[in-house]
Amino acid sequence: MRLRGFTVAAIAVTMALTACSAPEDESEERAREDSDRAAAGEAPDAITIGWNQPYYSYNDDTSDGNATANSIINYMLRGNLFYYDENQALVRDESLGTFEKTSDDPLTVEYTVADDAAWSDGTPIDATDLLLQFVGTSGNLNTIDASDDVGNLGGEVYFNSSSPGLPLVTELPELSNDNKTLTLVYSEPFADWEVALDFGVPAHVTAMKALGIDDPQAAKDALVDAVQSNDKAALSSLAEFWNTGYDFTALPDDELLHLSSGAYELTDYVEGEYLTLTANPDYTGELPASINEVTVTYSDDPLAQVQQLQNGELDLFGPQATTDVLEALEAVDQAEVDTGVEGTYEHVDLVMDNGGPFDPATYGGDAETARQVRQAFLTAYPRQDIVDTLIKPINPDAEVRNSFLVTPGSPSYEAVSEASGMEEAYGDGDSEAAAQILAEAGVEGPIDVRFLIPADNQRRSDQFDIVQPKLADAGFNLIADRRGTWGEDLGSGTYDAVSFGWQSTSTAVTESQATFYTGGLNNLIGYSNPEVDDLFDELAVTTDEGEQEDIQGQIDAILTEDAIGSTVFQFPSVEAYNKNVIGNVTSAPLNPTIFYGYWNWTGPETE
Amino acid sequence: MVMFFVRRLLTSSLVVLVSTFVMYVLVSIAIDPLADLRTSTAQNKEQLIEQRRQLLQLDESVFHRYFDWLGGAAGCVVGQCDLGSNWQTNQQVSDLLSGAILTTLQLVSLATVLAILIGVFVGIVSALRQYSGFDYSITFVSFLLYSLPTFWVAVLLKQFLAIGFNDFLADPSIAWWFYVVCVLLAGVTLMAALGGTATNRLRNFAIAGGATLAVLLYVELTDFISNPTLGIVGVAVLSIGAALCVTILSTGLGDRRSLYAALTVAGLGIALYQPMRFFWYYAGASWPIVIGMGLLAVVVGGLVGFLWGGPDRSTVVRTAALTALPVAFLLFIDRLFSTWDVYVNHVRIGGRPISTSGRRTPNFDGNFWMQTLDLFGHLLLPTLTLTLISFAAYTRYARASTLEVLNQDYIRTARAKGLTERTVIMRHAFRNALIPLASIVPVDIITLIGGAVITERIFGWRGMGFLFVDSLGKNVIDPIMAYLLVVAILAVVANFVADLVYAVLDPRIRVNA
Repeated sequence: MRLRGFTVAAIAVTMALTACSAPEDESEERAREDSDRAAAGEAPDAITIGWNQPYYSYNDDTSDGNATANSIINYMLRGNLFYYDENQALVRDESLGTFEKTSDDPLTVEYTVADDAAWSDGTPIDATDLLLQFVGTSGNLNTIDASDDVGNLGGEVYFNSSSPGLPLVTELPELSNDNKTLTLVYSEPFADWEVALDFGVPAHVTAMKALGIDDPQAAKDALVDAVQSNDKAALSSLAEFWNTGYDFTALPDDELLHLSSGAYELTDYVEGEYLTLTANPDYTGELPASINEVTVTYSDDPLAQVQQLQNGELDLFGPQATTDVLEALEAVDQAEVDTGVEGTYEHVDLVMDNGGPFDPATYGGDAETARQVRQAFLTAYPRQDIVDTLIKPINPDAEVRNSFLVTPGSPSYEAVSEASGMEEAYGDGDSEAAAQILAEAGVEGPIDVRFLIPADNQRRSDQFDIVQPKLADAGFNLIADRRGTWGEDLGSGTYDAVSFGWQSTSTAVTESQATFYTGGLNNLIGYSNPEVDDLFDELAVTTDEGEQEDIQGQIDAILTEDAIGSTVFQFPSVEAYNKNVIGNVTSAPLNPTIFYGYWNWTGPETE
Repeated sequence: MVMFFVRRLLTSSLVVLVSTFVMYVLVSIAIDPLADLRTSTAQNKEQLIEQRRQLLQLDESVFHRYFDWLGGAAGCVVGQCDLGSNWQTNQQVSDLLSGAILTTLQLVSLATVLAILIGVFVGIVSALRQYSGFDYSITFVSFLLYSLPTFWVAVLLKQFLAIGFNDFLADPSIAWWFYVVCVLLAGVTLMAALGGTATNRLRNFAIAGGATLAVLLYVELTDFISNPTLGIVGVAVLSIGAALCVTILSTGLGDRRSLYAALTVAGLGIALYQPMRFFWYYAGASWPIVIGMGLLAVVVGGLVGFLWGGPDRSTVVRTAALTALPVAFLLFIDRLFSTWDVYVNHVRIGGRPISTSGRRTPNFDGNFWMQTLDLFGHLLLPTLTLTLISFAAYTRYARASTLEVLNQDYIRTARAKGLTERTVIMRHAFRNALIPLASIVPVDIITLIGGAVITERIFGWRGMGFLFVDSLGKNVIDPIMAYLLVVAILAVVANFVADLVYAVLDPRIRVNA
């Protein structure tokens, strides 16, 4: 009975309380107001970009930090002296500083930092920042060649980085009295001097953290002192911090570790999930943010990203270009898809130092016969078919690449490919002409050719299926050699021909030297032609762009004439975006790909 | 007993040691840390390769590197772990592991619990209706689900439950055929599950179908989809329903004291409907508080049962305490529902609450209720995927062991002495049918920490499975080894635990050296 009474009482209390309800939670109220404002068209402009690998280092000039995952974000965070546009032309950004060549002999380059340039903590940017970058990337002050623990050097100096040109600056760069100008004097001419040096991590933070100094200016002075007096102990600490101190995979508590000098600031980073960039209110440079908030979410499944786009979780992403992804994207109404080219290019290599069909040794040292056999092979190689069948479904504008040295779309491509003569020589796979060349060479077919195929790559298997019958008609018997370890076997001489991609990360004219120079690291075919070597030597010290183009054309022509192989196509790229949210997206073939041109992006309301 | 422990420990350590060695060698053969540099045209390629060879000691033999790694890993025994680092990002493997384990646990725990509960329940019901249409249907469905590929289910769920449902939310109207399908499905399922004579079946069909129709109409009429709310009436009806169900299963409706105790708990829950709203407003909410309140509810429920007392006090306490859980859960859900509208219309959500990827909405900021809805919106699809696929196995186990138990002599004896069917099933058969499961569940739960490789990848959760696959793809050996080490140790521990649990539950088995 007691309990029954209790129940009745409880119900009575409830009835009483039902009349008045609990007040609404404060943050719910705020959220409601926000969404009302958004409904009224006052939505803050924000977009979300999908990327595959999470950011892990603010310093992308170290060997470890040098990854696209980092450079795309740093591109948004830090101002630079130059960038590559969508046509791979070098464009200077004079927001933070300028540079000019003041002398050709010796090659002297003067860098001047803008007067009002400053990091987001208020510390001015000056030549000390460039000096640290020089010391870091040139490695000129390193006391050891390599280290297996770059964050703990045991008193040695080792900046974990490398640069092709800066080691040529053997003297320490000069700083002007006002600390705004830095002058590099090269000991020998260097063709790619324009891209040799740029801003990196802030000098004051590096010195403050490495040397334990609280005042930014004092820290910078200490850094300059350490460099000028070659103070090994201090340099070792600086190197340790420079190598690893800027690595983080979640937003660090210390803001100094991610200072901004560019259009955006890093405002949030949740490990492995997303990273948020917000427009830098203090940025006054040439390339300001057009969208206030950019969030990068991480996922490495392109098909999942397509569904994210469809579900409004993603507004822009650049997946690996496959027909599956394109088909999935076609089904999404709001998706706008652009296709283009990447920096990587597919080419075919013919090995000429392994005693195989392309080696003069096989024909008793008769180089001409071997050349003709190679020429026949390349003449029959159906480059156009490959592009039509495998690449055009992804990128309808795809073309056969006709230059060894220069990327299609870049300013000098037309002239160099013209000079190369590759188009006429091995245009579109002519088996009959090839058979004729073989007959002229007096070589009896069929010639066995071991063709190395990466076992993990469907597209290369498909290529082989296209190539094999065409070459069979010409008198070559292609033997498929599928290997999972193909990367390790490159240059081993255990195959006669291979088709794979070279990745290029810059338009530096000296980049392809290692591929064609006698004994070059990427010269996997045993090619040696003193004439080419001389031309490359000349190219490396030519600083005039017109002359560079001329020499590149000459090299390309010799390579074509020597029939060392041929280029096939530029890898296709895809970028997809939600056209209801973002517009005017133009991605670049090279780093930072889809992030390029962020200052041109338009939000939904400006359309 | 001690000998048993020592022997198991020694053999287990040996198993772990040998497996790490074999795996280290195999992984070393499989990966190529220089892969990205091989096709690079960087001008300083040679230097880069040399740096990396030095960094990863690639010039040393694989055995040398293994023992190097083992030296660091062995430090874990004395509390000085050095599992190496991811050389690409300079992250310590131990940091990577702790983050990944947490992510994985968050992802798989709910799915595992659901799969076990639903699987066992369906399996037992299926066994009770052996060789009926219901049994065959369940067998068919469970084999179907069992054989579905995860990636396919995941993509379909994303398409229909996330993208489709979110689109539907923009303009929620239910098609007429949906009513027909739901009513028929609910009616037929319940009819088949309960069985009985033709009259009974017809009655059950009508009840289930009618109830479903009522719920659907309620949803339609109250605009439940855009603004879901149970309201005090909904909470009341469901609480009383829960009280009845628990009582039926626990003691049977014949036990009046239990029934009254359960109903009192339900009444208490209804009475607390408004006060709880004030409580959440003033006390704030967080997971510790919510879980604490759940536990408190169980205690209060037990107390109510104690006060109703009677000669069979313990069963009354049990019934009341068990009733308190669903009642408290209803109050929680109702409070959560009241935030739904705000959540869905939040600027960051933009009317699309069901997410296809990730653990949370980027930059989302809100109170506990909004965060919880956000978590559920992200957990829904992966949980469903994992549950659908693993529940099938539990159904089969539960069905088989229940059938075996039902054929035992003591069940016949129990029936022969006139016990009610409820007592025979719940008290005599159910408990014993669970024993074989006791050897499967610990292994399943512990090995789940190893992650759901495909599910994690498709839904973008960077847990253990993702860590493993990602490191393998990027040619980084240390995280792979740490993953394999953890999984190997857990597998050994899981088997050990299963043996012990079995021995504790089944007196016929003794742990003997």
